[in-house]
Amino acid sequence: MSSAPVATRSHASSRSASLPVAPWLLMAPFLFGVILFTLVPLLSSVHLSTRQTFGPEFSTNVGTGNFQFLASDPLFWTALRNTVIFTLGSVLIQLPLSLLLALALNRPNLRGRTFFRVSLFSPVLVGVVFVGMIFAVIFDKRTGLINRALHATIGWDIDFPWLESYIMPSLVIATTWQYVGFNMVYFLAALQNVSAELGEAAMLDGANAWNRFRHVILPAIMPVGTFVVLLSIIGSFQLFELPYILLNGTGGPQNRGLTLVMYLYQTGFQTGDLGYASAIGWVMALILGACAIGQRIISKRGERA
Amino acid sequence: MANQRPEQTGQPPRISVFWLVAAFALASTIGVIALRTERSSAARMWTFARLHYSMYEPAVEEWNKTGEPKVELSLLGIQAVEQRMLSSFLTRKSGAELMEIERRIASRAFAGPLDGVGFLDLTDRIKAEGLDQKINASSFTPWSTRGRIFGLPHDVHPVMLGYRADMVEAAGIDVSKIETWEDFITVLSPLLYDADGNRRTDRYLLNMWETHMDTIEVLLLQAGGGAVDPDGMPMLDNDANARVMAHIAAWSHGKNRIAADAPYFSASGNRLLLDGFVVASFVPDWMCNVWRNEIPQLGGKVKLMPLPSWERGGRRTSVWGGSMLGISRDAENHDQLWEFAKHLYLSPELSRELYTKGDIISPVKEFWSDPMYDKPDAYFSGQAPGRMYINLAGDVPPRYSSPFSVLAVERLRTVASRLATYAKAQGDATPESLLPEAKRLLIEAQDEVMEHARRNRFITPAEGEGS
Repeated sequence: MSSAPVATRSHASSRSASLPVAPWLLMAPFLFGVILFTLVPLLSSVHLSTRQTFGPEFSTNVGTGNFQFLASDPLFWTALRNTVIFTLGSVLIQLPLSLLLALALNRPNLRGRTFFRVSLFSPVLVGVVFVGMIFAVIFDKRTGLINRALHATIGWDIDFPWLESYIMPSLVIATTWQYVGFNMVYFLAALQNVSAELGEAAMLDGANAWNRFRHVILPAIMPVGTFVVLLSIIGSFQLFELPYILLNGTGGPQNRGLTLVMYLYQTGFQTGDLGYASAIGWVMALILGACAIGQRIISKRGERA
Repeated sequence: MANQRPEQTGQPPRISVFWLVAAFALASTIGVIALRTERSSAARMWTFARLHYSMYEPAVEEWNKTGEPKVELSLLGIQAVEQRMLSSFLTRKSGAELMEIERRIASRAFAGPLDGVGFLDLTDRIKAEGLDQKINASSFTPWSTRGRIFGLPHDVHPVMLGYRADMVEAAGIDVSKIETWEDFITVLSPLLYDADGNRRTDRYLLNMWETHMDTIEVLLLQAGGGAVDPDGMPMLDNDANARVMAHIAAWSHGKNRIAADAPYFSASGNRLLLDGFVVASFVPDWMCNVWRNEIPQLGGKVKLMPLPSWERGGRRTSVWGGSMLGISRDAENHDQLWEFAKHLYLSPELSRELYTKGDIISPVKEFWSDPMYDKPDAYFSGQAPGRMYINLAGDVPPRYSSPFSVLAVERLRTVASRLATYAKAQGDATPESLLPEAKRLLIEAQDEVMEHARRNRFITPAEGEGS
């Protein structure tokens, strides 16, 4: 017994000699990548946001000028408004729909359950560029599938300008088609962890379906729900490829399809002002940071409750 | 016990894992170095159009027999050319020594200070060799900024109207009576047609819409308007722009609607042309080739006519599209590359190829007398499109590039769209009733672009306003 602590000390001393080297060496490639490709660009983008640039060669200090100009730039506010509208559309339409589908497909006695799950999930496997091209054809005036079908059935205006006057609703429809099944999988996983006994007990106590959902299922899936909401907000703020394809790289009529990332791209990579683009990026990061903090607060409250 | 982690057994981590990772890292580094291809000493040239590529191949081959440096021609997607060009200019690393680019891309290359333009300034060479006299003057303007020329022009691209001659002639209409846009509407209005009696027009006179920025620009330039002035400064709020914008909105949504949307370059648009949904479309010389290849069924049913003018005796054409060949400023052997550029672009062989394969007329004026341009074309019902375009080439309006072109054109697009919304709300709008709103929107747009222009610290007012 008395020799054990000695042996431990001996191992500890040999570990203290070898530990600092090997783990750090093993982590070195990863750390090198993180520092070089994440931390350094992140810090340099703070500096960049205080400069006006034309590529890396021409640069001049503007202090907070980029942020001041941003505050009065109508294009920035248009892009922000469009992005928020799209985000609200995604969160308020896509997520409830995903939850409804998950609830429907979680019923054990449903026939063809696997088929429906695969069918609803499969659009995620399609590349965004293809989705853009498909929906450009679907939303076409006069010859597009939607206008044609609705015109034939309910006499809908065959020239209905989806991609001119209703760009954001069109984008919400396209992304809902693509991602509803993806979010459904999150909800399905959460639903499968809800205790069946609790549901049965509530039923025995006379709770109807709505009450069981409201008081048993919803609290149980709330952590996953808030996480999915956060992911959805982040994903919506990153919207770029779909409007880029649908609107030929422009913001569309009256910039109705201009999103924050599109404006950032146009400013940084087409006009060459990386400083102003960095300022846009930082404002976007602050908004998303606030959303993440909001999600943490809601989650904590949920845990306490 | 065998699966226990080192911490649990009290054993230090095995250093052999580290050596394994290191060995992989070393092997992959060697692999990457070994895979590196040797950079050819030939000058690289990028083009974005398959047709251009096929036309240039023989000329490049011929040059490579004796000329120096050897040239390696590559075909890239237009967006790839744009991204690579911008990356190479912004980082000052030469992507390709020679780049053929399209007009919209070019204006992006001119976004910064003159020192930041990645193309070689060709002004002095062009003037010293008299090329400014030899080549159609307006062909230089898209490749010029602040008084300097950065590219050798590839084309002229005059615009005419392509119309359904079968429908027009069946209705006994004589298009030679059309001189102005007003005449166009009066003469062709019998063709506005409601096929099924549902009080909804099924045939319109003009393929034009508030979202077609290309065709809006065609009309603005024809009327003497546009996005930027010869000095490169935004000039959105001029009378010509207001007048054209008011007409476009009234034509698309007004009391006497004549325009409809048959999108250019799309299968659905081609279908609508075939169905006779619109009578006339804007057709620059290169579009003849697009129609010939994509809508062969229209062969013998269509004809061309000069654009109706905005006032009697006015300009009967405009311009749409264009390409240039530029030399990278960071390339070596500027003189030799310049010789190659002239060999490629100014040869009579290329001018013939341009027309026979692409329906494009050469910008070199001395080639315009070539009899090939007089050959009747069965697709256009026996007309000689080449000669018709050449007759209009001297009247092609200039269009200027500047650091503010992209933003100014974008704002014009917004004005067109907002005015269309206003016209729809009015219900019975006419060009006259829309004119005050058009002027107001253009002034607002001009102010917005000027805000950005004033913010730009790299382009001093003297540089932007002068030269």
